[in-house]
Amino acid sequence: MNIQWNRREFLQRASAATMAALAAGAPISNLLTSCRGKAGANSSADTVILLWMAGGMAHTETFDPKAYTPFEKDMEGNRVLSTFKSFPTKLDGIHFSDGLQSIGQVMDKGTLIRSYVAADMGHILHSRHQYHWHTCYEPPQTVAAPHMGSWIAKELGPKNPVIPAFIDIGQRFTVGEAEELKAFHTAGFLGNEFGPFFIPDPSQGLESVRPPVGMDAKRFERRNQLYNELINNSPVGEFGSDYQRESLKRSMEQAYALLNSPESKAFDLSTEPKKSYDIYNTGRFGLGCLLARRLTEQGARFISVTTEYEPFKGWDTHENGHTRLQDMKKQIDGPIAQLIKDLDEKGLLDRTMVVLASEFSRDMMVEGRPDAKVKEQVAQPDILSDLKFYGMHRHFTDGCSMLMFGGGIKKGFVYGKTADERPCKTIENPVKIDGIHQTIYHALGIPPDTQYEIEKRPFYTTPDGKGLAVKELLI
Amino acid sequence: MLFELIDWKHKSTVLRDGTRIITWVSAGSAVLAVVFGLLLAGSEDSSGTNLEIHRWAGIATMVLSLVTVFTLRSGNRSLFRGLLLTTVFGVSFAGHYGAMLTHGEDYLTSVLPGADKTVEPEGETEADFVLTNNGALTPEQIQNLNVEVRTILAHNCYSCHGEAKMKGELRLDSKDAIMKGGEHGVVVVPNHPDKSELIRRISLPKGHKEAMPTKGKRLTEKEVKLLQFWIEKGAPWPDGKEKSIYRVADLAPRTPQVPAATTELNKPVDLFVNAYFQKNKGSWKPVVDDRTYIRRVYLDIIGLLPAPEKVDAFVADTRPDKRELLAKELLSQNDAYAQHWMTFWNDALRNDYDGTGYITGGRFGISKWLYASLLDNKPYNWFVKELISPNKESEGFIKGIKWRGTINSSQRTEMQAAQNVAQVFLGLNLKCASCHDSFISDWKLADAYAFANIFADTLLEINRCDKPTGKIAGTRMLYPELGEIEVNASTEKRLRQLADFLVQPKDGRLYRTLVNRVWAQLMGRGIVEPVDAMDNLPWSQDLLDWLASDFVTNGYDVKKLIYTIVTSKTYQLPSTSVKDAGDMMANDFKFTGMVRRRLTAEQFADAISTSFTPMYADTALALKKLPEDIQSRLPFPRAAFVKNDPFLTSLGRPNRETVSTGRTSQANLLQALELTNGSKFTETLKAGSKVWKSQYPTSDSLVTALYRKALGRSPVPKELAAAKKILGPTPSEEGIQDLVWAIALVPEFQLIY
Repeated sequence: MNIQWNRREFLQRASAATMAALAAGAPISNLLTSCRGKAGANSSADTVILLWMAGGMAHTETFDPKAYTPFEKDMEGNRVLSTFKSFPTKLDGIHFSDGLQSIGQVMDKGTLIRSYVAADMGHILHSRHQYHWHTCYEPPQTVAAPHMGSWIAKELGPKNPVIPAFIDIGQRFTVGEAEELKAFHTAGFLGNEFGPFFIPDPSQGLESVRPPVGMDAKRFERRNQLYNELINNSPVGEFGSDYQRESLKRSMEQAYALLNSPESKAFDLSTEPKKSYDIYNTGRFGLGCLLARRLTEQGARFISVTTEYEPFKGWDTHENGHTRLQDMKKQIDGPIAQLIKDLDEKGLLDRTMVVLASEFSRDMMVEGRPDAKVKEQVAQPDILSDLKFYGMHRHFTDGCSMLMFGGGIKKGFVYGKTADERPCKTIENPVKIDGIHQTIYHALGIPPDTQYEIEKRPFYTTPDGKGLAVKELLI
Repeated sequence: MLFELIDWKHKSTVLRDGTRIITWVSAGSAVLAVVFGLLLAGSEDSSGTNLEIHRWAGIATMVLSLVTVFTLRSGNRSLFRGLLLTTVFGVSFAGHYGAMLTHGEDYLTSVLPGADKTVEPEGETEADFVLTNNGALTPEQIQNLNVEVRTILAHNCYSCHGEAKMKGELRLDSKDAIMKGGEHGVVVVPNHPDKSELIRRISLPKGHKEAMPTKGKRLTEKEVKLLQFWIEKGAPWPDGKEKSIYRVADLAPRTPQVPAATTELNKPVDLFVNAYFQKNKGSWKPVVDDRTYIRRVYLDIIGLLPAPEKVDAFVADTRPDKRELLAKELLSQNDAYAQHWMTFWNDALRNDYDGTGYITGGRFGISKWLYASLLDNKPYNWFVKELISPNKESEGFIKGIKWRGTINSSQRTEMQAAQNVAQVFLGLNLKCASCHDSFISDWKLADAYAFANIFADTLLEINRCDKPTGKIAGTRMLYPELGEIEVNASTEKRLRQLADFLVQPKDGRLYRTLVNRVWAQLMGRGIVEPVDAMDNLPWSQDLLDWLASDFVTNGYDVKKLIYTIVTSKTYQLPSTSVKDAGDMMANDFKFTGMVRRRLTAEQFADAISTSFTPMYADTALALKKLPEDIQSRLPFPRAAFVKNDPFLTSLGRPNRETVSTGRTSQANLLQALELTNGSKFTETLKAGSKVWKSQYPTSDSLVTALYRKALGRSPVPKELAAAKKILGPTPSEEGIQDLVWAIALVPEFQLIY
């Protein structure tokens, strides 16, 4: 879209999103030629919330429990499939691992996938599988692959012009493997404009969208006024306009509007009623869910909330798996269930898709997949001489669980199956990452063959444009 | 929209001819339309003849409609009818031009069949000539027609009926394959387009089960006609070597004759541009003033703003050759030069201080080598040699980035080396061909593997789309005419041979690629674009060839090349405003002067550092990866040497996971947010305001000093007044912060004019 020709563009496709994009200046990717149908048509969702279980969430310890074997000193590891008891959920015959009772109670509102199969990329590197999950491309790539959120931002633009289209909550980049994480938290060749708006700490979210700390509204306005006066009086104004200058001015206007907008209050968690706040307040992830809900109410497009990846932290359990998962479940169970309930009660769940996923699963014995085991990263004993060895400590790629709610996803539905005995791998309806991406894009009305030409080659949302939505998951 | 609505109202006047009230309403709305029209035209910067025509036709129509109303009142019915008719005509006329303004000139024709805008291949006119030919074709015409046919097939059919896939057992990428047909028999019956399955399928309506192509866009009417014509003529195929359907640039160097000097011009660059202007109706405008020149050349050569004293001295200097002297002086600042160009080469050689791969020992930096090379102005042939046939310090480039685990075979480090060497040094895209035969050039999978094998300790098995084929490609140069690699030599020796072959003067492509990159850096747009696609048509072949040839003659001296460019009158032309970023890359781009550029992230940060207060502390420097004495060489912690951070990222510093050969001049929202409330910039403003408050007791002195440092000039009275309004008579810290923020954000500061 080109900013000089407002009138033509205006008439051809005036919409809030277009106006927002106009205000933000024409994106670099306009230089890319696209070849696709029109995005946004026949959609069943407007917003996506990705709940990212970073570090490899064991399916047998969460949403796909197997036989429970309590800890005994010097027991054989191979005997253990689950280290928790399981309990029934709202769905007939479907059990979840202990600690996920609240989520179990909202499963009538969504779909449980028990057959996600991660890529086989040999030696495990979390960030590499995460790169693959988020971009659908295995690193390294010859061109910088865009994050799913960037594709969505590019195709649909912001839902509300003053809420950035791609918001990433909870990940800090000061941790190990940070560079690998940065490599996929990017819009890649689509251009910075579609990159993530980072809110590493949800309780500080407001700071990202209000005038700088210590600057009151009056001063903020005065400063902006001065900026406008200086532009208008600058002698180079005589040189006339050009896209560089215009895009600068427009993006500044847009930023000013955003920082002054009433919607920015959504970023302020302190205005949430205490009762609700307390349910969500299980830590940064829980508050991230709350922020995601508040932003969805104001018209967010794509939000990622992560438990945060940091090597050997969070879901990345190499020891004490059992004990640590108790904590992880406490962090996620209440907030996720509440998020689903809130969205549902507010009538937002119909057009908001919530996706819970992890880069792969874990197992006590198998590193990689049963038919392609790889070198283990941290030595694990076969005999569990200590409680700290009791847990799923190896990386398992052949069967993982996912949850999907809302935005056109079936309700009270279970898809796929893993074996009940080790290896607990996918035995029914395997789902791969391109299917997941296309399902999400499908719901948003983004055609499966969406592509841009970069360095003269077509680059699709999913490799070679081949991925197809998993129709069975959709209503 | 208002326009359209009113136009519609006009039309309804016609339908209900004679209705007095409506005539009145129309006249009133015509007046309104003109008023709104003039307002709208004033509020936008649209211009051009269409607007002029629309404006005057609109005004004339308004006058006409008023006269019509009065005629109606006077009762002269026939005069009224005549005038009404004229008015209606006026409305249509003005309306048409108005629609052209709002919907584009093609708003009517675009809905006609065959008006789809598709990029027509080169040589289109030749084909037109062929199409009108009724007799026998000459061998040359056969050749041209054949190229056209293959171009159409390549763009529309190869991806499913080619080397990689053979849907319906049909291939359309060679004469034999086309004639052989697919599983359902022949597809081309020579002389009988009506009996040819190929024509039938491509002529079926979209959505038909058997229509081709099934994916992507339909063939244009013209393309179908061309294929019909070709079959009608017997589907001829030329004898001997097929001509490439893609434009392929000459490899050999060429030294064009420099046009004769004129009274005004004597530098070769200007003379070539002059010849270009004569051919393309361009014209010379007066060169920019001293202030503009000094800012431009400082930023381009050393990446910094000129200090106010330097600007004053330069303006006051009366020597006729002061611009040449300035360029020379800047180029002699070896450290400052290296510190600026480090950024460009870090991007291109995807060298960074942080990044993927380092964590597992799968990546090596080359910063120390790079800095030393730029500092010495290492001749470019040596520069390239040392990167391709590397020492310990420079091996990071061809070693690539190695991720743990299995990777796509087209991303093996040897293949990365092949791709990156081809892209950076030869402006050649080998990425497609490293997975399958390219659809966008003549490069084949085997070519890419043969080239990659030069970098490989053991020969690579060819993988097509990541599937092993059991074949080995051999070992050879992309351009065999440059030399033959000894297949059995050690990797080290092969790399030495490769480097030697590539840097030979007869490899014109290497040097054209480099001079074009430097030109693009200094002029905002390459002579060829994209700069990584050197087979594309340059806007001046002569200029490109001469620069490359002169570069070789001058001992591969990059600084001399920069000097040649920045001292040309061409460089000193006023900067060009480009209305649409897309126009920059257009095939029909017309050169008129340097295209305005935005400061890079590094230039912006350094400009804040020199004109206000340092943005980065010494602790931000990536010291471990840099030359040991770097701190003593830096005037202040320059942004090119700090690790990437959210501030620099938002201003466009790429993550250097892949080769990156250009930064965008386009601003965006995330950037504006970072500058408006990002902590990095806010903290800088706070720190600097304390220092400035203590240094400048009065607002007048502060504003003047700031303007001189930041913009190289004193404030005009209105600017001074606006600034003082925020500062008060004695500057407050907050006032200083806000003023600096506002100045840093204005286009005059952020752009190179």
